[in-house]
Amino acid sequence: MKAAPFEYVRAESLDHACQMLALRGEEAKLIAGGQSLVPMLAMRLLAPAWLVNIHGLAELQEISVVQDQLVIGAAVRQCVADADPQVKQSVPLLSKALHWVGHAATRNRGTVGGSLAHADPSAELALAAALLDATLSLKSARGIRQVAAGDFLVGPMMTCLEPDECLVDARFPIWREDRSGCAFEEISARHGDFAIVSAAAQLGVDQAGVCTRAALGIGGAGPMARAFSDLARRLVGTRLEEALLREVAQEAAAQLEPTGDLQASAAYRRHLAAVLAKRALLGARRELVLSP
Amino acid sequence: MEKPFRYIGTKRRAKESPRFVTGQGRFVADIHVPGMKHVAIVASPHPSARIVSIDSAAARAMPGVRYILDGQEFCAHTDSLYVGVDAPKVTRYALAKDVVRYSGEWVVAVVADSRAQAEDAAELVEVEYEAMPHVIDPERSLLPDAPLLHPDHGSNRLYHRKFVWGPVEEAFAQAEERLAFRVTWGRSSTVPIETFGVLAQWHESDRLLDVWASIQMPKYPDQLARALRLPGNAVRVHYDVDVGGSFGLKRGIKHTVLVSYLARRIGAPVRFIEDRLENMRGGDMHGPDRFFDIEVAFNRDGLVKGLRMRAVDDVGAYAGRSPLQLGKPVSAICGPYQIPAIEYEPTSVMTNKTPQEAVRGFGQAPTNLALERTMDRVARHLDMDPIELRRRNFIRSDQFPYLIPSGSTYDSGDYHAVLDKALAGIDYPALLRQRDSLRAQGALAGIGIATCLEPSGGNSAFEPLFNAKNDTTTWMDSCLVRVDLSGAITGVMGTSSAGQGHETLVATVLGEVLEREPDNIRVVHADSLNALPSNSPVGSRMAIMLGGAAAGAARKIKATLIALAAHNLGCAVDDIEYAEGSASVRGDPGKMLSWDKLVEIAHRKFHLLPPGMEPGLQAGFVWEVPTGGGLPTADGRVQIYPCYSFEAHVVLIEIDPETGRPKILKYLCGHDCGVMINPDIVHGMTYGGIAHGIGAALYEKFAYTEEGELASGTLMDYLIPSSMEVPELHIVDHCTPSPLTTFGQKGSGESGYLGSAAAVCNAVNDALAPMGRSIETLPMSHLAIWNTIRPT
Repeated sequence: MKAAPFEYVRAESLDHACQMLALRGEEAKLIAGGQSLVPMLAMRLLAPAWLVNIHGLAELQEISVVQDQLVIGAAVRQCVADADPQVKQSVPLLSKALHWVGHAATRNRGTVGGSLAHADPSAELALAAALLDATLSLKSARGIRQVAAGDFLVGPMMTCLEPDECLVDARFPIWREDRSGCAFEEISARHGDFAIVSAAAQLGVDQAGVCTRAALGIGGAGPMARAFSDLARRLVGTRLEEALLREVAQEAAAQLEPTGDLQASAAYRRHLAAVLAKRALLGARRELVLSP
Repeated sequence: MEKPFRYIGTKRRAKESPRFVTGQGRFVADIHVPGMKHVAIVASPHPSARIVSIDSAAARAMPGVRYILDGQEFCAHTDSLYVGVDAPKVTRYALAKDVVRYSGEWVVAVVADSRAQAEDAAELVEVEYEAMPHVIDPERSLLPDAPLLHPDHGSNRLYHRKFVWGPVEEAFAQAEERLAFRVTWGRSSTVPIETFGVLAQWHESDRLLDVWASIQMPKYPDQLARALRLPGNAVRVHYDVDVGGSFGLKRGIKHTVLVSYLARRIGAPVRFIEDRLENMRGGDMHGPDRFFDIEVAFNRDGLVKGLRMRAVDDVGAYAGRSPLQLGKPVSAICGPYQIPAIEYEPTSVMTNKTPQEAVRGFGQAPTNLALERTMDRVARHLDMDPIELRRRNFIRSDQFPYLIPSGSTYDSGDYHAVLDKALAGIDYPALLRQRDSLRAQGALAGIGIATCLEPSGGNSAFEPLFNAKNDTTTWMDSCLVRVDLSGAITGVMGTSSAGQGHETLVATVLGEVLEREPDNIRVVHADSLNALPSNSPVGSRMAIMLGGAAAGAARKIKATLIALAAHNLGCAVDDIEYAEGSASVRGDPGKMLSWDKLVEIAHRKFHLLPPGMEPGLQAGFVWEVPTGGGLPTADGRVQIYPCYSFEAHVVLIEIDPETGRPKILKYLCGHDCGVMINPDIVHGMTYGGIAHGIGAALYEKFAYTEEGELASGTLMDYLIPSSMEVPELHIVDHCTPSPLTTFGQKGSGESGYLGSAAAVCNAVNDALAPMGRSIETLPMSHLAIWNTIRPT
């Protein structure tokens, strides 16, 4: 479990990192927290010729609220995002998702952008980004572009990042509904393991209790985290009756095509998807009922 | 009236703790010898294949590469490793020759200046294979048409015998009720944080091999020398190496023979530290993988009259000592119960899997699972409280010493008292209310009980049962004690420790006998050329055997001091009163010689020594395991372990009915290992053992695909429970001293593990019982539980 030989460079700026990527292309790999990449290097599942370290770059470390978006720099450590009051206040679902990411020890090193760019099908942050329709900023020497999370994630461990692009930040929409609630549900073999299935929901209602906005997503039960925006839209205008939430959860699960592995059969995953989606929707509804 | 203990049983910090807590442990990876080279392994990707060719030219040309070794060369220059049963054709070497028999088997070893360079080169070794049929399922492996792993052996069966102890036929004919079912213990193991590591250095001028290894293994230097075709005194194993966890399985004999051969071949020290992937696939450290076909005969009053236990254990591709893991349970085949007639039919079978090694309890934990599932199924069949059923079947405290049908005598115990204490400790009526209230809320909830024995004292008298050609009956251990000129005491032990606290054990015992402060006593691990004989810490034996040896040596020292004092104080030996190291004349305390004075006489004043006494002050004591020394009778009865510790587990578990996810809510273990020498160490072992059993019950499995690939070869797939899964554990102590040991102590090295998996399995089954479902296969993963409870 020793990595194959590679060259290493610590980027001095974001531009420097992009130059390195432009120069080395597919031979290079960005490294930040290294919580997924380093084990893959050690097991020789990856053998890049160059590692470009972006962990220390101040440009990628900011958390800010810009109008209706929470902007999180790609190299913000997961523990920092977790402890940031802005995150909790503006996008509470993200806070809840962060609690399920690995363990405290891996969150101390792992970054928000690293998890998104790694694109594990069961990644909690990818699920949060997909269902909240976050926007991701990708930069290269050629310029900067914005893509929706749903377009960013294209398959298991696959994103739309070009070899010369660096993920710069993730922008999560801040909901301004009269009242909103959210929930994140997950089942894994052990706490901190990759999710067998996860589900999350966020609901907003007006003063009268009528749903004005809804989001639902399921992770771990397909090639990538998936948002069910059409199904969620069916909740808008309703009073979020329990029967309806159950029905939506069932339908979401029915749309999935999970695969089986050692921990879970395809049937078990589909079943869990329905259970957790229901719990997420009910949990989100319960939270908005309880909030002042 | 006996004197109360001064140090034994008191709460004292373990001697080893400061070293480990401050990061000063000295593990094999901390040992560096100048010029040391490193090994990486090329492993077989096939479960069964012929090796057609090996091309290592490209690897040889890589930077830093020193040597590339294959099985042709290696097998020509070394001898096969030891086989525990009578199967001489099941030879085993560190590197495969001609054929590979499991995925992960070592084929080529690459030596380079660094481990990274060795791995770089290993990737370039090209091995051409021709795949052959393989067999993964142990039952299929026993069929006549199964592909043979070792054709020269003639079958995949390594061992089979049917023991009949007592009137089994009659018991089954006469009993009012009978049940039959199968229980399966999954292929799990212990997975220490430290993998196996070894460093070997050959000194050509002295013709001496130095070995540092993370080892826990009886007769390791001897087996190493034999395989290397060296005399025993050409091998020096350094036992002063801390072992980062073992629990039975740090037996890297194949690793050591390989590295030692390489060190000698290339004339440089060679080190091999397994990485996790090598450890789990090719480290040969899987544990028992066993199913039991149980038939039980009982009456409606709950008394069990007869038991038939057929056990089939899959040891993987090679034998080693692993078939003997079916043997230890012979010594406690009826558990803590009065079962008068027992048939035991063990079968050891080979498949194309990673070989098995000794794991905590040496096969007793799976057997305890089978026994405890039997008791619960009998109780359920009779609609009887499982606690009441156990109470009716327990051996009573007034029946000890108690001879069981298979020939061993249990030394002592009070099973009723320990179970009662455990139930009181957890507040059993409240636990029942909590379970029932959870059920009323729609949850699946269950209580599990397991009452099990831990045979201890490590007398491997099952070996002759499993191999008639092996008539070993000696299972000694020893200790050497020295008092130096300054009066300081040093205890010398001849084996390494893997966290069991032997230094604390020896210091406490020496301090107790000599009435000197244990904190001031040093304990060292002699190397194998300097050590007295030991059989290493296996079979839960060291508190008994090393503790007894230390006491024996200390008593010799004490006798010497008393004789010295009597000679110099002009009185009879019987008139000397020994207290805290000083000797005085009874009734005349003014006539006294202090410890320092006595030591000085022993070391410096030959003129004051009694005639014939050796100068200096040291004593060795070697002793045979109590009750040991016997060979089996023709019908397979033999006294095996001397001492029997007892544990009573009570656990409450909740299962999410929608997801199948189990959660342990409460856990308590009542534990009786006789006199505890250091309670913190006993409790630490018990906590770890319980957690280990929870892993075996719910999480851990070396799973194989039908294609013969190990599907759980990393710690992402082989699931060891963490502090998030293991609940708060409570232990209630009880003490029934053993009449056979120095201080009344029994073993506890396997405690907790021997009953926790059974208790958890019983709890899950109690939770499923209202649905009319049951689960008899470990591990009971979320998926397995869901498959059991899902609507059909």
